[in-house]
Amino acid sequence: MTSATATAAVAVAPPARSTFGAFVRRHPTVMIGGALLLVIVLASIAAPWLGTVDPISIDPSHRLRGPSADNWFGTDRFGRDLYSRVIYGGRISLIVGLSVAALATLIGLAIGLVSGYLRAVDAVVMRVMDGMMAIPAIMLAIALIALSKASVLIVIVAVTLPEVPRVVRLVRSIVLTIREQPYIEAATAIGTSVPRIMLRHLLPNALPPLIVQATYICASAVLIEAALSFLGAGTPPEIPSWGNIMAEARPYFQLKPWMVLLPGVFLAVTVLAINLVGDGLRDMLDPRLARRM
Amino acid sequence: MHVFLIRRLLAAVPVIVVVTIFVFALLHLAPGDPAAIIAGDLATAEDVAKIRAKLGLDQPLLIQFFTWIGQLVRGDLGNSIFSAHPVSELIGQRLEPTLSLTLMTLFISVLLAVPLGVIAAWRVGSWIDRAVMGFAVFGFSVPGFVIGYVLIWLFAIELDWLPVQGYTPLSKGVWPWLSNILLPSITLALAYMALIARITRAAMLETLSQDYIRTAHAKGLATEDVLRRHALRNAAIPIVTVIGIGVALLIGGVVVTESVFAIPGLGRLTVDAILRRDYPVIQGIILVFSGAYVVVNLVVDMLYTVLDPRIRY
Amino acid sequence: MSAPVLAVSTLRTYFYTRDGVVKAVDGVSLSLDRGETLGVVGESGCGKSVTALSIMRLVPSASGRIVSGSIRFDGKELLTLDSAAMRAIRGNRISMIFQEPMTSLNPVMPVGNQIAETVALHQHLPPRAALDRAVEMLALVKMPEPRRRAGEYPHQLSGGMRQRVMIAIAMACTPTILIADEPTTALDVTIQAQILDLMLEMKERTGAAVMLITHDLGVIAETAQRVVVMYAGRKVEEAPVKALFARPRHPYTRGLMTSIPRLNRAPDESARAHRLTEIPGVVPSLIDMAEGCTFAPRCPYASEQCRVAFPPEVEAAPGHFVACWNHDALPEMVRA
Repeated sequence: MTSATATAAVAVAPPARSTFGAFVRRHPTVMIGGALLLVIVLASIAAPWLGTVDPISIDPSHRLRGPSADNWFGTDRFGRDLYSRVIYGGRISLIVGLSVAALATLIGLAIGLVSGYLRAVDAVVMRVMDGMMAIPAIMLAIALIALSKASVLIVIVAVTLPEVPRVVRLVRSIVLTIREQPYIEAATAIGTSVPRIMLRHLLPNALPPLIVQATYICASAVLIEAALSFLGAGTPPEIPSWGNIMAEARPYFQLKPWMVLLPGVFLAVTVLAINLVGDGLRDMLDPRLARRM
Repeated sequence: MHVFLIRRLLAAVPVIVVVTIFVFALLHLAPGDPAAIIAGDLATAEDVAKIRAKLGLDQPLLIQFFTWIGQLVRGDLGNSIFSAHPVSELIGQRLEPTLSLTLMTLFISVLLAVPLGVIAAWRVGSWIDRAVMGFAVFGFSVPGFVIGYVLIWLFAIELDWLPVQGYTPLSKGVWPWLSNILLPSITLALAYMALIARITRAAMLETLSQDYIRTAHAKGLATEDVLRRHALRNAAIPIVTVIGIGVALLIGGVVVTESVFAIPGLGRLTVDAILRRDYPVIQGIILVFSGAYVVVNLVVDMLYTVLDPRIRY
Repeated sequence: MSAPVLAVSTLRTYFYTRDGVVKAVDGVSLSLDRGETLGVVGESGCGKSVTALSIMRLVPSASGRIVSGSIRFDGKELLTLDSAAMRAIRGNRISMIFQEPMTSLNPVMPVGNQIAETVALHQHLPPRAALDRAVEMLALVKMPEPRRRAGEYPHQLSGGMRQRVMIAIAMACTPTILIADEPTTALDVTIQAQILDLMLEMKERTGAAVMLITHDLGVIAETAQRVVVMYAGRKVEEAPVKALFARPRHPYTRGLMTSIPRLNRAPDESARAHRLTEIPGVVPSLIDMAEGCTFAPRCPYASEQCRVAFPPEVEAAPGHFVACWNHDALPEMVRA
């Protein structure tokens, strides 16, 4: 048999282009999403300076006005300036979204690492996670919130809980794959402690998909918080949140649809931006993942 | 094959067990006295005591649990605190609207999203592909209640083609039922469609890159036959999986959609129960929904045996 | 001599990628006579598979395109046929089998149905008759218990059996040409021989012409009547098989032959003779190829002329064609 040098027709690698412009062109989704998100975050932080007034100050003599020079989005049923409420409302959504993403990721990472590595723990943990995933997220969150005094903290905790199983499954599957690799065996053989193995070997591999997943969780959390507030089971009504604002505007929908639609648009754009960032990150970090997800 | 099915059935058992434990534990998870919380801020000590007795909260935890399980097995989901009716009766009354909504949504979603995903994969990189993917991102991002209101504003208020809200039972005729269920179903379907279209496209792309597709073309088969008989049949397995998992998403959306469209279904029941802290009802509904989710996934597992001969033999 | 059943003239198939144009097939001409076995040999990446795919017009259309040339089958020009006419030819008049039997069959369809699909499509047989024909074909490819096997799925069959199914699919409509792209590469050595014998037998039985693509000179020696040698997208030599082995006239072919390891050296031969000879250098990238002969960078006999222009094909001996400026100046080959 011939021993032919088997080099297939390989395309030569392009020269490394490190300009920012080239980066933007190659990853449009991250750029658009990121830009949008940046605007929203900045707007939320800079709320006091964006032409807003106190979002909870009541002015009954000016209730239910339409958009005007004084009130860019009009006023709600208590005479509160809608524009200010919407801008401040962004804060809640973003705080909840980021907190839930961070919390769920950390908790899920910890559980997933341990569960993937220690078989005894795994069996129990996976059953529990499966069970949690069988309960619809909103219902679980609602049930938890119904039990306690309404506050943003409770909302964060309640929304985090249903998101944890997703992270656990992801981390666990990565750990299971990597655990079989020879270099893990080698590390154990030379006496590396289990926590150190987890930190030095398992963690870095789990990080990229985890970051992508965290972004999606953030989007999901924003949506769930909004839905909860809309149903009256979320952020307490004194604190403006997009869901709250929409809920209060419901009775007036037929005559003044913008009261419901405007916060809705802000909500949609925010979630869209987060999802775009997530998609873009996914494409950037692992193109293989892109086709499977 | 039977081994596979029995194994799946057995696997479902621990899930149900965990769910029941969770649901039971919900009441006791929060700090403080559950009875006091349920009774509410304005309750007197007497009210709290009454509730405690009614829910059997004065018993030791384990006894409470087993009593509750015992009731469950007999089909007794307890009684509503608010209305004193059996929970199962309340659920039974609200079942049809929710079922109509979910089934209609499933129907629309699968019918539209699968072909869209197939076309996007077949014409990957083209404007159609980008349009479908763009639509998918939107469907996933825009919240259900926002879409609902936009649709209501457009079709019910501006164009006046469909009623604004409410539900008409099927018994009153197909068109009245349909006209009420259409907008809510489309609202709910959007997010579900986004999910299905994405996974269909991904699964089809994976399948279309396989060698047996090349063989199919080499036989001289027309493109539709290749897509249908060879590609889709193989892509069906992951697609069906995601449809099953997505049902959880669907159920979550039902609660919000029923609220927006004032549909007297289980979702509305949940919201009312929350506001009134009617815990037996909340528990009952969660059990029903979770049970439905488990059943749906079992059905998916059964479908596998039909779709994938590698499991059968 | 009757006209060849397949005539490929200056075929050019390019792939347009983000990094440049890959000239996978760059001006290849070959012909196949009725009932003959043509071997196409060359290392991975030389364009032999793409040539075959071009004949079938199955080049992946995302980035690949047949840029120019002509492919005449039985006098008809294939490259200008509309897709319906081309589909009528695929699997029917010209069939192809591929290298990977493990993945070339649909995992969720019984193998009998996969065979029946072709006859149902091209011969318009009803399902019952198509399945009967499928079982017939399975018997012809020496599958034990053909009727039972017809209902089984690919994962229940071994690699050799799957390749038999592939052959059955390809031959079911008695094609005029069978293109076999590395049919035995992925199989065990013992099964390889069986499959090759089977192919030859089918060929005898039906009178089909076979285009056998491989990188394995041993297979060529056993089965082919004429051989075409390809390198980097071009044809460099063509000859009857005996002539090719007796006196290879292109430096690349010579390099291939001398790099075949031999197990029968006497222990007293020089140490140098024990080393595996290789062709120095690597296969060039098919993007931005330099002017001149594609093999020049690695050729021990390259001259100035070689770097300037690609040599024309000349008939160095009756029926023996070579594309080399220096083909008649090559020294005698040292054959161990």
